[in-house]
Amino acid sequence: MNYGELFRALSPEAVLVAGALLVLGVDLALGRKKIAEARWNAAARTGILSIGLAACFTYAVGASGTAFDGALVLDSLTRATRFAVLILAGLSLALLPGTVRLRHPAEFVAIVLFATAGFTVMAAAQNLLVAFLALELASLSLYVLAGFDKSRPESAEAALKYFLFGGVSAAFLLFGFSLIYGLTGSIEIPAIARQIGHSPGSPLLVVALVMVLAAFGFKAAAAPFHLWAPDVYQGAPAPAAALIASASKVAGFTLFARLLWSGVGDATGQAPLWMLAVAILAGASLMLGNLVALAQRNLRRLLAYSAIAHAGVMLLGVITGGRFGPAALIYYTFTYGLATIGAFGVIAVVERAGRCDTLEDLAGLHRRSPLLAGCLAVFVLSLAGIPPLAGFFGKFLLFSQALRFGGLSGPAGGLAFLAIALSAVALYYYLLVLKQAYVAAPAAGCQDSIRVPAKPALALLLAAALLIALGVFPGSALGLAT
Amino acid sequence: MSLSADLLWLIPALPLIAAVVGACAPRGAFKLAAAAAIAALTGALLLSCGALATALAAPAAKLASNFTWFDLGHGAVRLGWLIDPLTALMCVMVTFVGLLIFVFSTGYMRDDARAKQFFCFLSLFAAAMLGVIVANSLLLLFVCWELVGLASYLLIGFWFQKPEAAAAAKKAFVTTRIGDLGLLLGLLWLQDSAGTLLLYDGGKGLLEPAVLAGLGGSTAIGLLLFCGAVGKSGQFPLHVWLPDAMEGPTPVSALIHAATMVAAGVFLMARVFPLLTPDALTVIAFTGAVTALIGALIACAQNDLKRILAFSTVSQLGYMMLAIGVGSWVAAIFHLLTHAFFKALLFLGAGSVIHAAHHEQDIRQLGGLRGPMRVTFATFAIGMMALAGVPFLFSGFWSKEAILHATHAWGVSQLPLYTGLAAVVLTAFYMTRLVAETFLGAPRSEPAAHAHESPAVMTVPLALLAACAILLSLLAWPSPWLQLLLDPSAAANDHADGVGLMALSIALVALGLGAGWAMYGRKPREKSMSADPLAARAPRVFAFLAARMKFDELYAATFGRAAYALAVFADALDRHGWDGAVRLLARLGRFTGLVNREADEDGLNAGFDATSESLRKTGRAYSRAQTGDAHGYLLMIAFGFVVLVFAVLFGGAR
Repeated sequence: MNYGELFRALSPEAVLVAGALLVLGVDLALGRKKIAEARWNAAARTGILSIGLAACFTYAVGASGTAFDGALVLDSLTRATRFAVLILAGLSLALLPGTVRLRHPAEFVAIVLFATAGFTVMAAAQNLLVAFLALELASLSLYVLAGFDKSRPESAEAALKYFLFGGVSAAFLLFGFSLIYGLTGSIEIPAIARQIGHSPGSPLLVVALVMVLAAFGFKAAAAPFHLWAPDVYQGAPAPAAALIASASKVAGFTLFARLLWSGVGDATGQAPLWMLAVAILAGASLMLGNLVALAQRNLRRLLAYSAIAHAGVMLLGVITGGRFGPAALIYYTFTYGLATIGAFGVIAVVERAGRCDTLEDLAGLHRRSPLLAGCLAVFVLSLAGIPPLAGFFGKFLLFSQALRFGGLSGPAGGLAFLAIALSAVALYYYLLVLKQAYVAAPAAGCQDSIRVPAKPALALLLAAALLIALGVFPGSALGLAT
Repeated sequence: MSLSADLLWLIPALPLIAAVVGACAPRGAFKLAAAAAIAALTGALLLSCGALATALAAPAAKLASNFTWFDLGHGAVRLGWLIDPLTALMCVMVTFVGLLIFVFSTGYMRDDARAKQFFCFLSLFAAAMLGVIVANSLLLLFVCWELVGLASYLLIGFWFQKPEAAAAAKKAFVTTRIGDLGLLLGLLWLQDSAGTLLLYDGGKGLLEPAVLAGLGGSTAIGLLLFCGAVGKSGQFPLHVWLPDAMEGPTPVSALIHAATMVAAGVFLMARVFPLLTPDALTVIAFTGAVTALIGALIACAQNDLKRILAFSTVSQLGYMMLAIGVGSWVAAIFHLLTHAFFKALLFLGAGSVIHAAHHEQDIRQLGGLRGPMRVTFATFAIGMMALAGVPFLFSGFWSKEAILHATHAWGVSQLPLYTGLAAVVLTAFYMTRLVAETFLGAPRSEPAAHAHESPAVMTVPLALLAACAILLSLLAWPSPWLQLLLDPSAAANDHADGVGLMALSIALVALGLGAGWAMYGRKPREKSMSADPLAARAPRVFAFLAARMKFDELYAATFGRAAYALAVFADALDRHGWDGAVRLLARLGRFTGLVNREADEDGLNAGFDATSESLRKTGRAYSRAQTGDAHGYLLMIAFGFVVLVFAVLFGGAR
């Protein structure tokens, strides 16, 4: 046990936690007499600062192998995930000032920082206990964030449902972990892998694996464990929903992939046990997400079902990533997170000026605010996977990997084919959004132009610029993750 | 100060930035655009001097800096920059002459409403031309070559409100394009057979012995490359665009159509000289000789000040090509350098005259400008003597001698030598005519009578250029410095029987000058309407030459007519043949459309609609499962879990 090493490995998290305490302290000491706007600004600024500092520490830590007796692993996947999570969390913090009318700004920002610390530990966890603790830290923070808007009953409903589901899935996860521990006698992922390599395929192991998969399916909002997602996306405050949809997913998929690839992965050269289950989850998510999204009139629910569909594609990446490396999966989740945060950011700004529930509330957005409409177009088209935006390249990478995995008849080939076909369906509902924003005339009574506050405008432009830049130069981002 | 090859790109980049500045500057920001252009070219000149220092330090080293432009399949397209004495000398020449012309233009174009664009285009041209020179890849060279063509088009047609200017720009663009097609084919052929378009690439470049031996000398490639040079350098039979290009502002004529751009073809030939086979060289030599003679002949009978100079340019470019063809590319480059200076001098002098005489450029209307325009006259006379090849003092004499000697030493045929010597007489003759008609005698028109000396911003460049026209003699005399620098191997065989040939050519120059003086100088023209002495002696020949040997008419009657006939035929075919067929097809199409529509509405379309509707319905059905009831949700999790467990256990992976 070397605590210096541990501190070094966890220095980004330490910075985040210290930042959270600082936000609380500053607001407590200085904020009481100020107007809400100034308090939001101060809190968000401090939060972004500590996230920036954490990114610097992440860079300094680098990819230096395992730490703390193998409980943590610091490799390029860890580093890429931490960067992605920090960027996404920073963007969702930047959306706060001037868009939300919640009380207690410091608490909101502090909890976002706690959640972010949870995500970054998830990125590095190589031990079942650490993984579970990190997951729970992140999840509990997110439950609170979902229910932060006490003035709206939907928010409370969302938080309650999210918490209920989270609790059940945590129970599944813990049960699965304890079964794995019982079967292998270890909680270290590499040791588990060695054990399973010797004695594959007992029914108890299958049950344990499926329990873990169910819990991760909940985390990733994959069908049939997705049911919480639409209600939460609809009810939670927009920045909280953005965080739930983006950073949480990136960290979750990194942990998931690490566990499946190295922990219970393919030691004997045959298709691993979990592949079929993941394939079922992926197929169900693709079908259900894309089809139900067609029926949605509510913008947030549409984004929720789009998230479910994207989770299907990401699960496809989990299947292929074991052979081709994690770069494509991280690229996809990160760029998806950027686009989703951006879309929720646009929703947040429009909500501030009026309502933004149904698609029709976006009508004539390009006249009310060309900036918002332009950014929304970038985000939605990236979600739909239109070149040259990053969403296209992510899809292209994953699909080409899936086809190389064993051709069309291979385990992933059929799924890739399904995903490509459903992309055409998806384009329909994405274009419905843009049709409202660009073609439809503004509804009577809300034709005023929308003022976009400076920080959210900057965050939206940054996200859009990143999507374009990553789409045009994907090599730079991919190089970071491999 | 020296410049490494890695930084060579700065030389074309600076004028390019100036062009961008000029393009972005607000309308009427003439001073800003001019200042940017001049500053950029000054910087490029300093860098070029650095490059020259680098090249002089190691004349034989080909310092190349290559980089990958993009990857394509299994290969990569690579470009690069190159420093060698040829590049460095050309860079210094282009930037120096260009700088003087830019300065001159600030005076010449001051009153033009679109002077800002003018400087933008000039900078673009300079950038492209410098790009041609520093390129270490024929592909990059070709890109810049086309940019040069574009800039030339923009500048010739700068006064596009004049129909002649617009037509001349179009003519120049189309005519040079014919040659460029050949060049492009040559490049493709080269890429195919050598696998690279880089000139020097550490032993793998086109001009390096290994690849040259592998190519085995293809005459066709050399001739195709020569096609590009024919177009750009105004060689017979594509020389017709160059005289018309004089419709552009005079500084443009000086910069592009006399000093630099038209030299690009000669430069290209000198650059790829090792690729040229003896057969190709023979073609080049004869083309050059014919061009030199034709240009000189036509120049004798022109009345437009700039047009005479333009045909003289055609003729001089012919000399340069002749030198390439007979194997002495160093002589060609030498003549290119000296010609650039004295022809720029002559054109700027002409510009000064035109500026002073309120855009009167018919030499019959001028006359008597010697008095009021002393500086212009003195410098113009120096340029004229350099061009005519007046012995010893003027650089033109030495470079022309070098070409004549090389031609004399050529083993294949002596015919080009005789044409070259004939052109020497003619050159001296028409230049004497030009100077006598323009500057001597009495003014023959209102504008000429009121002419006054141009401002210093125009005369100082003239003086500098005149000095250079003399000083450049030092490149060849007293020691053949340029020859030793560029091609030491060929310097050994010096002029064995040089004195005789030199005496002959001096005598011929004297003959030409004397004949010109006898006809035009002794008794200057009295009135603008009085007949030309040469026309009086041989009216039909003079008329034929004045009509530029009817080349334009010949092309119009052959290629133009053929193209027109083809167009008429195509039009008729289109109207009657294809149109009928298309109409029939359209009828047929409408009929099938009608049939199909019925089938479609019921079958296909309904099927698609049904698919879409069923997709939507499925979506709605699924979404009804989303009741919001938490108990149902939890049940669903349990159900999903059980299904997955069974799926893995029974349908499992093993």
